Amino acid sequence: MAKGLDLDLRVRSAILETLAETGVAPAPGEIASQLGESEARVLGAWGRLREQRVIVTADDGVSLLMAHPFSGVPTEHTFEAAGVRYYANCGWDALGIPAALGRNGLMRSRCANSGESLELEVADHGPEPNDWLFHSLVPAAHWWDDIVFT
Amino acid sequence: MLFFRSEDDIRAWCREREAEPGPAVSVDQLWRLSVTWYGTRLDPDPPRRTPAEARAIFAGVGLTDPFWDPVPRQE
Repeated sequence: MAKGLDLDLRVRSAILETLAETGVAPAPGEIASQLGESEARVLGAWGRLREQRVIVTADDGVSLLMAHPFSGVPTEHTFEAAGVRYYANCGWDALGIPAALGRNGLMRSRCANSGESLELEVADHGPEPNDWLFHSLVPAAHWWDDIVFT
Repeated sequence: MLFFRSEDDIRAWCREREAEPGPAVSVDQLWRLSVTWYGTRLDPDPPRRTPAEARAIFAGVGLTDPFWDPVPRQE
């Protein structure tokens, strides 16, 4: 990692890189070890990143729920590539993950109304042709009023 | 932010929640939006996006309805 980036950026990158490599949300202690920093300093960055909406945590303020487009907890929206299963926060993020990774793979979700399964192969040029639809109940201006609900 | 098999499914799902349906988005639009929105997410220091930039990204994939405006309207 390039020197000169401040701690918050280093922690941000380490969180996202860990999620990109493993699909599993890291704990502050793991990031502290990776970066050679104290856990206290990493926890400070954790709080600032939460305030900046870079990450979303559980009520404990530590456990990662979201680092968009990745979900820190299992969901029904997934993307699988190179033997790694990634969980997405929503339908959009299920395509956001391959877009962020630049990796081909299989996206899975379902119709929120009927429960019908959705499986799409995602290649460099995008998902295979299909006529499924995406819908957000919440207008963009209010997404962060309650991002978990959104 | 969910997938639906059809417009009928969107309407039925919203009706159950006594909510007005928002604009439906094709998967192709959503992919193009994802590439622009998330394509730099793993960069070490991506620039923070302004509301105007976010609005332009949505408009770039045809999402011009006020529903996609990231700035809260005066209420």
